[in-house]
Amino acid sequence: METYLYIALFAPLVGSLFAGLFGARPKTIIAGLVPTGLLFASLVSSTILLTHVLAGNTVHVELMTWMETGDLYIPFGFVVDQVSVTMMMVVTIVSTVVHVYSIGYMDHDKGFNRFFSYLSAFVFSMMVLVMSDNFAGLFIGWEGVGLCSWLLIGFWYHKESATWAANEAFIMNRIADLGMLIGIFLIYWNTGSLQYDQVFAAVAGLEISTVVWIGIFLFIGAMGKSAQFPLHTWLADAMEGPTPVSALIHAATMVTAGVYLVVRANPIYDIIPEVGTVIASLGAFVAMFAASMALVNRDMKRIIAYSTLSQLGYMFVAAGLGAYWVALFHLMAHAFFKALLFLGAGNVMHAMSDELDPFKMGGLSKKMKGTFIMMTVASVALAGIYPLAGFFSKDMILEVAFVEHHYILYTVLLLTAGLTAFYSFRLIALIFHGEERYKLFGFDPHEAYKYMLWFMAPLAVLAVIAGMMFKGTYYDMVTQLLPAGEYHVHSAFTYWVMTIGTQIFVGLAIVYAYRKYENAKIDKKVESGFFYQLLFNQYYIPQFYEEFFVKPYRDLSMIFWKHIDLKVVDATVDMIGNTFYKTGKETHVMQNGNLSTMLRWMVAGLVFLLVSAIVFAKANDIFAYMVTIVPGLGA
Amino acid sequence: MLDNILSILIFFPALAAMFGFVVAKDSIRAYGVTVAAIEFALSLFLWYAYDPAVSGMQFMESLPLIPAFGISYLLGVDGISLFIIVLAAFFTLIGIASLPDMKRMKDMILTLLFLQMTMIGVFAALDAIVFYVFWELSLVPMLYIIGAWGGPLRIYASVKFFLYTFTGSLVMLVGMLFMAYFYHQATGTWSFSILEWYRLILPENIQLWLFVAFFLGFAIKVPMFPFHTWLPYAHGQAPTIGSVILAAILLKMGTYAFVRFSLPLFPDASVFFMMPIAVLAIIMIIYTAMVAYAQEDIKQVVAYSSVSHMGVIILGTFALNVEGISGSVFLMIAHGVVSGALFLLVGVIYERRHTKMMSEFGGLASVMPHYATIFGVMVMASVGLPLTINFVGEFLSLLGFYQQSHMMTLLAGIAIIVGAIYMLAAFKKVFFGEVTNEKNRNLPDVNKRELVALIPLVIIAIWLGVYPKPVLGPINNSVESIVQLMHEKAVTEEAKARIPDLTSTIVINEAKEETK
Repeated sequence: METYLYIALFAPLVGSLFAGLFGARPKTIIAGLVPTGLLFASLVSSTILLTHVLAGNTVHVELMTWMETGDLYIPFGFVVDQVSVTMMMVVTIVSTVVHVYSIGYMDHDKGFNRFFSYLSAFVFSMMVLVMSDNFAGLFIGWEGVGLCSWLLIGFWYHKESATWAANEAFIMNRIADLGMLIGIFLIYWNTGSLQYDQVFAAVAGLEISTVVWIGIFLFIGAMGKSAQFPLHTWLADAMEGPTPVSALIHAATMVTAGVYLVVRANPIYDIIPEVGTVIASLGAFVAMFAASMALVNRDMKRIIAYSTLSQLGYMFVAAGLGAYWVALFHLMAHAFFKALLFLGAGNVMHAMSDELDPFKMGGLSKKMKGTFIMMTVASVALAGIYPLAGFFSKDMILEVAFVEHHYILYTVLLLTAGLTAFYSFRLIALIFHGEERYKLFGFDPHEAYKYMLWFMAPLAVLAVIAGMMFKGTYYDMVTQLLPAGEYHVHSAFTYWVMTIGTQIFVGLAIVYAYRKYENAKIDKKVESGFFYQLLFNQYYIPQFYEEFFVKPYRDLSMIFWKHIDLKVVDATVDMIGNTFYKTGKETHVMQNGNLSTMLRWMVAGLVFLLVSAIVFAKANDIFAYMVTIVPGLGA
Repeated sequence: MLDNILSILIFFPALAAMFGFVVAKDSIRAYGVTVAAIEFALSLFLWYAYDPAVSGMQFMESLPLIPAFGISYLLGVDGISLFIIVLAAFFTLIGIASLPDMKRMKDMILTLLFLQMTMIGVFAALDAIVFYVFWELSLVPMLYIIGAWGGPLRIYASVKFFLYTFTGSLVMLVGMLFMAYFYHQATGTWSFSILEWYRLILPENIQLWLFVAFFLGFAIKVPMFPFHTWLPYAHGQAPTIGSVILAAILLKMGTYAFVRFSLPLFPDASVFFMMPIAVLAIIMIIYTAMVAYAQEDIKQVVAYSSVSHMGVIILGTFALNVEGISGSVFLMIAHGVVSGALFLLVGVIYERRHTKMMSEFGGLASVMPHYATIFGVMVMASVGLPLTINFVGEFLSLLGFYQQSHMMTLLAGIAIIVGAIYMLAAFKKVFFGEVTNEKNRNLPDVNKRELVALIPLVIIAIWLGVYPKPVLGPINNSVESIVQLMHEKAVTEEAKARIPDLTSTIVINEAKEETK
């Protein structure tokens, strides 16, 4: 089994290096095929490992030592257990599909070879992230995916907006990574280890306040990668990257790393339910907050990005309330349908010459039937309609909130479910239905390559069946590691009312979206309204960051350099130097060898000495006199 | 040969440089490369022959110079100095090998060989006077390199560099004399041997004064805030090779001296000054990183980034535990590799365009893809991405200091954010975007001569990031003995508590093993 583990882990690295060899050369198809093939090998190995884990085994290997000093010992250790194998399957399935898709999508791109090198490197980092058996290894993957995300967002580096977004993503993630690093330090100095099994065994014996801090700092790390408020702005801007990247990194895998971290660290969060409640509340807030921004946006990819953000919020609600397996389940289901949605959006973009405004599309269902069907399936799944995947995973989170008596969270999530359905079908209606507005703008849409559609099909199938087919097996598997908990509403009546009610509510939202946007009518009155503008401008948060963080930082840096470093610190040094220099320069005439000058100075010196002698003597006298008139002064 | 390997390492380049004066101009590069290659091979042999299991000094040599005052020619290496010596030999080699054609090439190569003598002398010396002699001698070749081959402000820059560091060193010399005097008072014999000094337990108030005297010399060399302003001038004016050696090796003298002198000689003073120094280190980290962000000249970005990284090294050193000090020593090597490489890379572009202003560039990624890739790798190493060499050092340094202070480490950790900001911003300005300047449109990519220097650095930066053990292991052993020495020597309660007692943890570990 160890061999399969190594294949699953290192095949993408080999693929990345292989494609990297062709990096600077013009497109070489082999640079796309080989990484894809290797990734498929990784998928197969992961599947074999899955069957192994399903049989009740786990694999744990230690490759070699990484760091060893003092009491610190960090190996490169990897573990395939119920949680990591779930993540491995999600990562390898989605990335294999995305790789094949990209061969078509990046067909005409100059950076074809480079793209595959980065993409496979990302998969490798992600595998390290999910398979490591310690927090330091997790951090390697954590930063590795950050690097690849930076490379891929800024893939079209000649675009200013793309490179800006890349740097924003990297730096914002770094802020969160500091939190994570501090969390790791806390863990090390309190438990003496970074290995999961040892930490989780030791954590129960720690003081509760320490565990709270560990939980908070680790979650700050998770907030960056999973783009939770207030570190969320990078995700929407990250849509500057090529669409397959958005599908793989910014929807299905990397952004879920934060959720994975909380799920993985469940023994820590189990001890501190208060922190969990905060996480869940923040998650619910982000779910609604992001969904609201998706309602009005006019950029297809950003709408889907906000939807991702919103769904990540759902996952954190589940994780925060201790329903780790539910969070992981929604992570899996979401990965399938959201990747599908993004790839569909990529097809539309290609058809429309990279146009992103859905108001310029319309009626594309005739020209792009395959894409239309798949995006609709994905949207239905996202909306949580029975019997698609979203119903089983997302509605489960609603039930969790209800059963745990967090009724406010429940209400927020329920409303958000309505919003989700609305914006999803607003997008579908605008793109695929109604008048063919694209003709006005002179577009000539065409369907994507056949094989791209065929390779998207597995995701479509998974989006349909993942909930129905896998839930039982999945539950039995992961609850061997995660805390088991059936979240059933006790009264059958309440359950049915809730479920059917939710379905009707969501259904109504869909119908409303269709009615409203089928003809792409733009309501000028609404658009000029305060709420529309607020949402459209993303609550003015990016502007706020620009004004209150970016600009002051730039200005302060300038002040530090020009005014403090040069004018204070360095000027002081120069002043000291100049004092010596000038004193010498000014006084060197004293010793010019001229006898009369020197005699004059001698006299001056003599006078000076005599005067000081008298002054000191007098001063002493005066002092002595004062002592006599004020007794005790001298003592 | 093993008995005298350190002397050979020190004096072989100097001797070769003497002979170099009679070598023909055309063959001087070949001559220089050969000498540096032999020297590097010798340093590798030193590493090979070094026994990593031994924590104390190895390859010791001793020769009385002035017996009346206990001054002797005393050499030796341990895990802390070994790798800096190897690094010095390595950088001299690739520096000479990748030297672009310039006027007075011969003088440059011979100067570099003399410089090499002084560098290795500093790290191998175990006698304070010998140490001091090499320490000061190293200024001369660097003064010459900046002053003779530098930019328009070269005289100002080189004189500032010389006088500033020299002033600090004189205070340090006074400190050394006092130290010897106290040693004489306590034992009745004179000695300048550091190893002898290690055995002396001083009262706290004397430690404080001596610590300050040494500190001034070291802090200017590092350079620590607010003594850092000579550095941007020196880097700004120095030719590429000068900046490379300065950043990679000469700055390490200061941080190395902290580990070699300040910590083991004055454990109580080290604890006493821990927090003030940590504050300085944090100012260095954040403030200079912000100054780096404001720069318009790419070389100045790298120069200020050096100061910022030195802050992390200082912080790790004053963690006063094995994790932190090992990390800081490792970071010395890492910073040498990465900043050396970055200065070489800046030199590549400078040679082609004769400007270092970032506004002159933009879009170089499409013109010079290989150059951009190597630069990108080094930027990521500088930012401290895991699996690159810097991360190991930074992680351990911060981890170490976390034991001393949570808040300070949180503040110092901002290094990973601000570091990313200035590096990525600079990278974006130079490499991303459209090519707007016509002069940049046909720049040739890195050539073979440049690759000879850069490829090995890339390999080291990743190799030691993935597998730091060959270097970290010996460092760890030597650091453990220093920490234990400090704990035993400490006189105040606070110092005893702050500096971990390794023997007790070993007992605990053994107990753990038994229960397993």
